[in-house]
Amino acid sequence: MGSVKIFTKAKCPRCPEVKEIGKELRREGFPVVSYDLDTLDGLAEASYYSILSTPSIIIEDEQEREVASWRGVVPTVQELRNCLARSPS
Amino acid sequence: MSVTIETREDRSKLVGEFETTDMALFVRTSDESFRGWNRQRIVDALLRETYVDLDTAKEIAREVEELIATSKIKMITAPLIRELVDTKLIERGLEQARRMHTRLGMPLYDVDQLILRPNKENANVPHGPEATNLTLAERIKKEYALLSVFSQEVADAHMRGDIHLHDLGFIDRPYCSGQSLEYIKRFGLSLPNSIAIAKPAKHPEVLLAHMVKFAAALQSHFAGAIGWDAVNLFFAPYLVGVSDGELEQLAQMMIFEFSQQAVARGGQAIFTDLNLYWETPTHFEDVPAIGPGGEVTGKTYGEYSKEAQRFAWALFDAFLDGDGSGRPFFFPKPMVHITEKFFKTDGHMDFLHHICEVASEKGNTYFVFDRGETAKISECCRLSFKLDQTDLDDAKQPWRMRYCALQNVTLNLPRIAYVAGGEESQLFSKLTESIELAVKAHLEKKAFIEKLLSLGEKGPLALLAMNRDGASYLRMRRASFLIGMVGLNELVQIHTGQEMHQSRQAFKFGLKVIAHMKLMIDRLSQRHGMRFVLEQTPAESTAYRFAKLDLTHHSPKSGQAVKGDIARGEVYYTNSTHLNNAAVLNPIERVRQEGLFHPLIEAGALTHVWLGESKPSKLSLANFVMKTFQWTQNDQIAFSPEFTTCNQCNRTSRGLRPSCPACGSEDVDGITRITGYFTKVSGWNKGKLGELRNRYRNREFFAEEEKIQTSDPKLHRVRESAQDFD
Repeated sequence: MGSVKIFTKAKCPRCPEVKEIGKELRREGFPVVSYDLDTLDGLAEASYYSILSTPSIIIEDEQEREVASWRGVVPTVQELRNCLARSPS
Repeated sequence: MSVTIETREDRSKLVGEFETTDMALFVRTSDESFRGWNRQRIVDALLRETYVDLDTAKEIAREVEELIATSKIKMITAPLIRELVDTKLIERGLEQARRMHTRLGMPLYDVDQLILRPNKENANVPHGPEATNLTLAERIKKEYALLSVFSQEVADAHMRGDIHLHDLGFIDRPYCSGQSLEYIKRFGLSLPNSIAIAKPAKHPEVLLAHMVKFAAALQSHFAGAIGWDAVNLFFAPYLVGVSDGELEQLAQMMIFEFSQQAVARGGQAIFTDLNLYWETPTHFEDVPAIGPGGEVTGKTYGEYSKEAQRFAWALFDAFLDGDGSGRPFFFPKPMVHITEKFFKTDGHMDFLHHICEVASEKGNTYFVFDRGETAKISECCRLSFKLDQTDLDDAKQPWRMRYCALQNVTLNLPRIAYVAGGEESQLFSKLTESIELAVKAHLEKKAFIEKLLSLGEKGPLALLAMNRDGASYLRMRRASFLIGMVGLNELVQIHTGQEMHQSRQAFKFGLKVIAHMKLMIDRLSQRHGMRFVLEQTPAESTAYRFAKLDLTHHSPKSGQAVKGDIARGEVYYTNSTHLNNAAVLNPIERVRQEGLFHPLIEAGALTHVWLGESKPSKLSLANFVMKTFQWTQNDQIAFSPEFTTCNQCNRTSRGLRPSCPACGSEDVDGITRITGYFTKVSGWNKGKLGELRNRYRNREFFAEEEKIQTSDPKLHRVRESAQDFD
């Protein structure tokens, strides 16, 4: 199974929404990693994925290859579930 | 004043026979007259220049006089007397007084070498009497800066090579600047200390003359690049009804004027950047245009787009022709802004092909990518300023758009890794200390420049203090303070055991280092109310200097990290955040990977694509440029071909060759890009020569690309993910 990477910032109006989605996916057993762009590790990771706006979500496969992304937009939980279900393990 | 003191007769006979006023010495001064020996002068100098008390000063003067009188020296010079006085100060433990009393200058041997041999610190300075003057002045000002402008902590860090304070020889000027032609269009050429005042130009040729003269005046007040915003657009109101032939002539005049400034400061061509747009930038679209005589024409700049486009096209025609020998022009540098609007503007593909042809043939074109709503002005090798809301408000009166970077301080990143010894917390702690030191250096330079500016139009920076529109020409509140870096690749290599192109983990660690720098300087900007920004330092000589110093102080570890050829002394660190020049990467992957750093480097970044001998088609390069814009975060790219120019038959051929392929002469010069500009390879320092040998040329890539492009365009997509690490 791949993983979900969530990128947020403190001063970002739609980020709480994405954080909630992250919690939901975690409850369902999906591996979710959250990154805060105001921190060193968060900014470095965001740079690696060319994240220029928040919130952003990346889905990766097990080889850390990007499978899907939402940059500056918020998908529904169902969209993410569908994508995770399709992603190769 | 330089003073030489000589004896008229053997002073040994005089010992014990005279008081100071009787000593039969005479003094040769720099105003070509002789003066008698007077011990009081030593006392006066000590009281004037230091804080020692009168009794100590008298005592020292007496001791020095006695020493001179008992010596058998045939000729006594003022520097020697000063050294003797300094010795006496040291004997008394008066270190601060010695520092204040020290003499600045150069050894005779060094001056001799300087006059006879070229200085390779900056390949843009030729060798000649004017260049010698420049270097001599720079040497004294460097010493002055390190002794008097900067604290000992900062100066020592520079001397050790922990940091590099750029352009110390130009300590009494800011670093680089960007401006608008609108200033001279509106106010004419009315410069402080000028013996004549010119009203606003009425004809395009006169506007060009004003531009060149103003650029020369600015070169005398800034250490580095002089950038001009939207040059083709601001010329446009002067070009209505101008024929193609006249336009061609004007374009040639502009390029030749800026490329033949061998009579300017130190014989150094003005480092000129021309920012050019195919579209009318949105922030200028509705701005009332200024035309001949400095008058508002009644139209907006949006209505002059055709004239602006014709001029941009003509400039690239001239770049394509090259100079009288078909060589590429070294200056001015054309920076073409590629924006979302560019791709929506009629004729953009034709223009893109035109500038790509120039890029392939001559290498001149710089492609500056302003994505989204970002607007930028580019300054130096890669320095650019992003325009914020205040700037966009200023854009309604474009003559207000004047920017500068006050100083550039570069960190020696590999050294931090040597000192950290593999401890990550130690590495980030040392990095923080280095950044804080760089900020301290900026505060010290700012205080010094503010002192000079406070003297206004009667002071040494009169040009920058001049006030024609309610604000001084140099707007300190808009100044940037640059913090650069050299050798990120080697830091990562020393710390992780791998270079950045070798593994995803190593690459990510590089990003973490730069992210740390970015977060730190943002915090420090808030704390000090100043604009500290990261910049990819061009580091023409700094990458060499740091490598050499580290080979001395951090051997044997440094021997495994520095790049180049240690046996030849051609050593260097990889520039800024660049990947190893020798790494075999296809160029689009290099552009993509290096581009991941660019959003963190606010003041500008650049990726070089080394072409070598290959000459890709304009279609292939245009495709490359579009993909870079659409699929990467890269800020700026430049394609660098290589040439050989023959000093015998004046022909120029492709590639770096030991002899001329046309006439066989070995009297040839290589030409290619050193950092952010083209120059002759014979003027390069050893570090850059080492890098040149290592550069991986992308000979096969474009040929292969063209085949793929014609067969299956889908294969040509840029890969977004980091799969190349797998």
